Amino acid sequence: MHAPTLRRLAAALDPGALLTAQEDVRPYECDALTGHRALPEAVALPASTDQVAALVRTCHADGVPFVARGAGTGLSGGALPVAGGVVISLARMTRVLDVDVINARVVVQPGVANAAVTAAVAEHGLYYAPDPSSQAVCSIGGNVAENSGGAHCLKHGFTVHHVVGAVMVCADGRVARLGGAVWDTPGYDLLGAVVGSEGTLGIVTEVTLRVLRRPQAVRMLLAAFSSIEAAAEAVSAIVAAGVLPAAVEMMDRLTREASEQAVHAGYPDCEALLLVEVDGPTDECLAQLDACRAICVDNGAAEVRVAVDEAERALMWKGRRAAFAAMGRVSPAYYVQDGVVPRTRLPEVLRGIGELAREYGMRVGNVFHAGDGNLHPLVCYDASVAGEAPRALELAGRILDLCIAAGGSITGEHGVGVDKACSMPKMFDGAALTVMDRVRAAFDPNRLCNPGKLLPTPRLCGEVPGFHRVHPLEAAGLAERW
Amino acid sequence: MVITDLGVADVRDAGALDAVAGVMPALVASPGDEAEVAEVLRGAERLGYAVAVRGGGTKLSWGAPPRRCELVLSTARLDALVEHEPGDLVCVAGAGMRLRTLQGMLAAHGQRLALDPPHGVDATIGGIVAANASGPLRTRYGTARDLVLGARFVLADGTVGYSGGKVVKNVAGYDVAKLLIGSLGTLAVLTQVSLRLHPLPACARTVAWQDLAPAQLDAVWRAIEQAPVEPSAAVSLSPGGALLVRIEGTLSGAGAQVESLLAATRDITSLVRALDDAEAAKAWTYAETCVWGGETVDPVAYVAVPRSALAALAERLAPLSRVAVVLPSTGTAEVRLPATTTVEDVLALRAWAARHGGHVTLRRAGAALASVVWPGVADDDAAVELMRSLKRALDPHGTLAPGRHLGGI
Repeated sequence: MHAPTLRRLAAALDPGALLTAQEDVRPYECDALTGHRALPEAVALPASTDQVAALVRTCHADGVPFVARGAGTGLSGGALPVAGGVVISLARMTRVLDVDVINARVVVQPGVANAAVTAAVAEHGLYYAPDPSSQAVCSIGGNVAENSGGAHCLKHGFTVHHVVGAVMVCADGRVARLGGAVWDTPGYDLLGAVVGSEGTLGIVTEVTLRVLRRPQAVRMLLAAFSSIEAAAEAVSAIVAAGVLPAAVEMMDRLTREASEQAVHAGYPDCEALLLVEVDGPTDECLAQLDACRAICVDNGAAEVRVAVDEAERALMWKGRRAAFAAMGRVSPAYYVQDGVVPRTRLPEVLRGIGELAREYGMRVGNVFHAGDGNLHPLVCYDASVAGEAPRALELAGRILDLCIAAGGSITGEHGVGVDKACSMPKMFDGAALTVMDRVRAAFDPNRLCNPGKLLPTPRLCGEVPGFHRVHPLEAAGLAERW
Repeated sequence: MVITDLGVADVRDAGALDAVAGVMPALVASPGDEAEVAEVLRGAERLGYAVAVRGGGTKLSWGAPPRRCELVLSTARLDALVEHEPGDLVCVAGAGMRLRTLQGMLAAHGQRLALDPPHGVDATIGGIVAANASGPLRTRYGTARDLVLGARFVLADGTVGYSGGKVVKNVAGYDVAKLLIGSLGTLAVLTQVSLRLHPLPACARTVAWQDLAPAQLDAVWRAIEQAPVEPSAAVSLSPGGALLVRIEGTLSGAGAQVESLLAATRDITSLVRALDDAEAAKAWTYAETCVWGGETVDPVAYVAVPRSALAALAERLAPLSRVAVVLPSTGTAEVRLPATTTVEDVLALRAWAARHGGHVTLRRAGAALASVVWPGVADDDAAVELMRSLKRALDPHGTLAPGRHLGGI
């Protein structure tokens, strides 16, 4: 980068908000996909939309690639810097700008943590529905980029269903207002495409969110099954009965045992543990809970346990939420896969994963969002054993092949990023990828906005993908991956 | 000659009923599959024809008159249910499939697409998505934006694209289908749509309030929002000040919610009661057909304001409209205006909505109001510039209904 460019970037910011020293930019070399690293030349810490726009105008004028970054909890390398480029961190833009209770809208800056949105409206009986597991730290800006989900998106939807407006700095530095607090803004639904675009179409600097009224009642049960197939059948039966649970989670023996060792949730000993949560008006909620309980029994559950109070419900969730971190107790390392299959194909795909695990002589833990078919197989390996890490990655790749063959997707919530850009051709043919590239070019003709992510490029796909390492946030207990 | 150039057998001369927002095309082509759609579009581009897409023909009045339209591409033959896996609550429907046909096939499995736009009898899936049409069920289930999981489509140059898929949760690649929702056929021709389905409820109950003054409507709706209920559908009707709220769920759950509704609003008005099934069916049919039904060609406006402006909206619409259907949960309304409505009337309504942060578009304008279908756009509006850029990227020659969308796009 030329010195004049750096000077202009610095001039766009508050004093001291442009980091260029190696030791200062080093913490930004990766996100939670820690196997991919690249050193940016500068890290900018803007405090306003105007400052972001000024930064991007400079990058646009001087041909410098830039990457927006939220809290750095992303699992697909979406915030991986471009070597020699600029990282634009939104971490300082943490203000809740407006709370509109009657219209159930909250306007926030992108650096606001997901959980802080609910905190801002909780006193009014409202909450923000998308709940990615890293919600204590992950930022709304990052959620918008990744269209983040969470355990409760089965009933309440993903980030895209809760973002109604945004201010976006375009790739040329102009500021666009997309959508708004009022529904159905005339024009194309650009916002619908920007949410989930992994920071490749612009930088969102202000977000208008829809918040929901807390349901009157929330109830939860766990059910113990003698096989994953039986548990999966129960899930299908619940759905077929017309019940739309708020969340349906499943854990296999390996992950359940690891979790039990870690947090002692009191889960029963079984091959497959199902957790079902329902919410709504009390009578409706209880009727649905009864239906779920009966269906689990009918489908051979050895034990069905309904949480008697909030404390027991919290404990049931605690065991589930601890599952990923707890895997560290049974394996020195693991790779987290993120694939989706149609719910009805869960039994055969899980069988296929079991067969692959045996073929590779490796353990694979399964803990996942059963309601929407979003699998998170944890491929265990020991990096100190020569060749095991690449084999783990190969196994994880073959699991994705199973998902695609079953009519599913290569990612349900972690995103494509750099991690899976080279897997995109498995799902999309050349023409479909060309169309997506044309969309990208419409927003960013110079390809400076988070280049190398989401869509495959020859340069990127010639490289060897990296491996999972424990992220500092995980080590600190601030975030989990699931 | 022309037929050969378009490459398909099924091409006919256009008639009076084929006009798109008042513009008469010369020909109507009905391709039989996606490859034929691509062939027709490539042929049209070669011939320099502008193309408008039509499904059931129920929303040809939506949007501004296209600058040109030589050819209408009908999706009528793309009418198959491509896939339906009941256990996944997902189906893939041909763009030309009629909503009513789809609902019939789904109902056999105890399922439905939770969309109830006007023209439910004739409207097609592709048309509903391309127009982003919805109805009272939006209250709980949202719009096409919430229910479309993926789509296949053909660009003006014949390129076949697709995005999303057949699973509820999926973040692979750009969600191009979102851009096509509400695009009125100006970006691409939808050929297949993958949809999230919902179970048919075991029980549906409707509660009706009558003669609500605007302030009462607002008070009743606020009370409902605070009550322990999850309405599936809610509309307020003007004139008359009726409010209909439908509860769906289990037998015991729905019953309890009806009681909660009655209790929550008892202090505001006594003109409220639960309807029996026959009354409810009649009331909802009226709500679906009152704006668009009959032989009238009165202008129709779509108004959106913040939900907090509900009373003001009801107040504003009462003297203005022949009939209006308001969704209180979203602050949106479809309004049939008098035939005598002038450009100034529309601009005044638009200015009023803008003062509340809202907007107005016309869904049926006629020649007299054709110039004010869309709100005006500022020259330096970066969002509109992105829309133009997107149009150029996907349809560089302006083949697809040029001028039908916002800002002359």
